[in-house]
Amino acid sequence: MDAAENKRSITVGVFVLLGVAVFVIGVLTLGGQQKSFVKSITISSIFSDVAGLKKGNNVWFSGVKVGTIKNIHFTGPSQVDVIMSIESSTQQYIHRNAGVRISSDGLIGNKIIVIDGGSPQAPPIQDGAVLQSEKLLSTDDVLKTLQQNNQNLLAITTDFKQLSKQILAGKGTVGTLLADSTMGNQLKQTMRNLQAATQNAANMSSQLNNFSNKMNTKGGFADNLLTDTITFNKIRGSVIRLKEAADNASTLTDNLNKASNKLNTTDNALGVLLNDPKAAVKVQNTINYLQQSSIKLNDDLEAVQHNFLLKGFFKKKEKAKQDSIKKAM
Amino acid sequence: MDSVDTSLKPAPKRFTKTRGKLAEFFLMLHRIYAFILRFFKEVFLPPYEFKEIVKQCYETGVKSFTLITLTGFIVGVIFTKQSRPSLTNFGAESWLPSLVSIAIMKALAPLVTALIAAGKVGSSIGAELGSMRVTEQIDAMEVSGTKPFKFLVCTRVIATTITIPLLATYTAFIALLGGYLNVSQNEGTSYAIFMEQAFEPLTFIDFWASLIKALVFGFTIGIVGCYQGYNSTKGTEGVGKAANGAVVTAMFLVFIEEVLIVQMAGWFR
Repeated sequence: MDAAENKRSITVGVFVLLGVAVFVIGVLTLGGQQKSFVKSITISSIFSDVAGLKKGNNVWFSGVKVGTIKNIHFTGPSQVDVIMSIESSTQQYIHRNAGVRISSDGLIGNKIIVIDGGSPQAPPIQDGAVLQSEKLLSTDDVLKTLQQNNQNLLAITTDFKQLSKQILAGKGTVGTLLADSTMGNQLKQTMRNLQAATQNAANMSSQLNNFSNKMNTKGGFADNLLTDTITFNKIRGSVIRLKEAADNASTLTDNLNKASNKLNTTDNALGVLLNDPKAAVKVQNTINYLQQSSIKLNDDLEAVQHNFLLKGFFKKKEKAKQDSIKKAM
Repeated sequence: MDSVDTSLKPAPKRFTKTRGKLAEFFLMLHRIYAFILRFFKEVFLPPYEFKEIVKQCYETGVKSFTLITLTGFIVGVIFTKQSRPSLTNFGAESWLPSLVSIAIMKALAPLVTALIAAGKVGSSIGAELGSMRVTEQIDAMEVSGTKPFKFLVCTRVIATTITIPLLATYTAFIALLGGYLNVSQNEGTSYAIFMEQAFEPLTFIDFWASLIKALVFGFTIGIVGCYQGYNSTKGTEGVGKAANGAVVTAMFLVFIEEVLIVQMAGWFR
C-alpha cells in the first residue's frame, strides 16, 4: 500500500468517523430533548377531547417540560386515554391530586399537556398513576367569547357614533357645551364661582381648624366639657332638672287643657256663663238691674251728704284736702 | 463473459413518439431492476474489494465534501432568510429555528445532498464506466479474470450508499449552522437556544426517515450511474449519454423516492 493510498484511506476514515460523530451527536441531542435517555415513569389521564394532541407532544409541569406523550388511544365512547412519559426526577413534585389539562405552546403553538395543582398533603405520583383530567377550553369556546365581545364592541361603537353625531350637531348638554359659546362662558363663570366656593370652603376649613384648636385649648369651655367630670356632672344635673321642668310644664299644659275643655261644657258655672246664651241674657239683665240700682243708690248717697246728721263730717274732709294742697304748693 | 445484456436493449420504434418514450422509460426501469438484482447477488459474494470501496468513498464522499458543505451552508442561510418575512407577518420569528430544522432535517439535507451528488458523482460514475465500456476495458477485465461488475459496480454503489448519508449529515449540520448564523445576526438568539428550538419539533422518526432516505438516495445514485455507464453504447456519444442519463434518471428517482419515503414515514407517526 503506497503513501497516497494510505493518505486516502485515512482521509476516508476521518470523513466517515466525523460523519458518524455528527449523526450520533444529533441523535443524542434529540434524545436529550425527547427525554429518551432519562429514567422515566408512565402516567395517564382520560380525556373526552384531546383537540389534536399527538404522540411526542410535550408535557409541562409548572412551566417546565417534564416529559412527552407516549401514546394516545381510545378506551371507550368519547374517552381517549393519553399515556405520558414523565421524568423520574420530577416524580416527587407531582402529587396524586394534580390535574391534567390540554393547552398549547403559545397562541398558535403545538398542543401540550399541562399538569397543575396538587397539594403536598397528597402522596407523589407513582408509575401507572391516573391523573384527573380537566375540561379543555377549546378554541371554539374562545372564539365564541370573542364573537360576543365583538358584538358588544359593535353595539358600544354604534352608540358612540350616534352620541358623537349628536354632539357634533350641538344636541344634548355636551353638544351645547361644545357648540354654544354662551354656555362656555357660563361654565367658565361657574368654574370661577366654584373656585371661589372652594376658596371659601378652604377658609372655613381653616377657621374650623382654628376653632377646633381652641376647643382643644386646656381649660376652655369645650375642653372642660369634654374632660372635666365635675362640669359634666353639673351639666347633667341641669339637664335632669330641665327635663323635670319640661315634665311639669307638660303636666301644667295637660291641666290647662282639661280646664279649657271644661270651659266648653255647661255642667259648671264658667261653662254656663261662656256657653249658655240664656244664662248670658239673664246675667245681662242682672247687670242692667245692678246699674240702675247703683244710680239710685248714688242719688241716695248724695242726699245723705246733705243730711244734717252727716254734713259736718263731709265739711271737715273737704277742709283737710284743701290744706294738704296748700302745703304742697 | 460479462457483456451488455442485449435482450434488454431498447424496444424498436413501433409506438408513437410519446408512447415510445414511455415504453423506453419503463423498459429502462426493468433493466435497472435486473441490474439491481445482479448487484445484490454479487455484493455478498467474495472477493470483497475493500481497497476499491475506500477509493470510491474518497472519490464520491471526500471530493464532494467541499461542494456539499458550501451548498448546505447556502441552503441554510437562504432558507432562513426567505422564511423570515412570512413568519414576521404574524409575529412568529421565534419559530424560525423550528421551521429551519424541520425543513432541513426532514427534507432539504438528504434531498439537496442527493441532487448535488447525482450531478457530480452520478455523472462521474456514468462517464467513467461508459468510457470503460466503449473502450472495451470492461471486456478486457472479463478476459483477465477480474469480475468487472463486482470491481466496478458493487464498489461504487457501496461507496455512494455509505457516503451520501454521511454527506447528508454534514449538510444538515452545516445548513443548521447557516440558519443559526442568520437567526443570530437578526434575532440575537444564542446557539444553545437555537439548537434547543431546532430539535424541539423533531422526533426519532424524522431522523431515521432522513437516514433511510439518504441511504436509498445514495444507493440510487450509485446504481443509476453504474447502470448507465455499464450499459452505454455508441462510442463517445454513448459516454455523454450515459453521464447525462445518470444525472437525469437519478434526480427523477430521487424525487419519487422522496415522496414514497415521506409517505411511509407518515405511517409510523
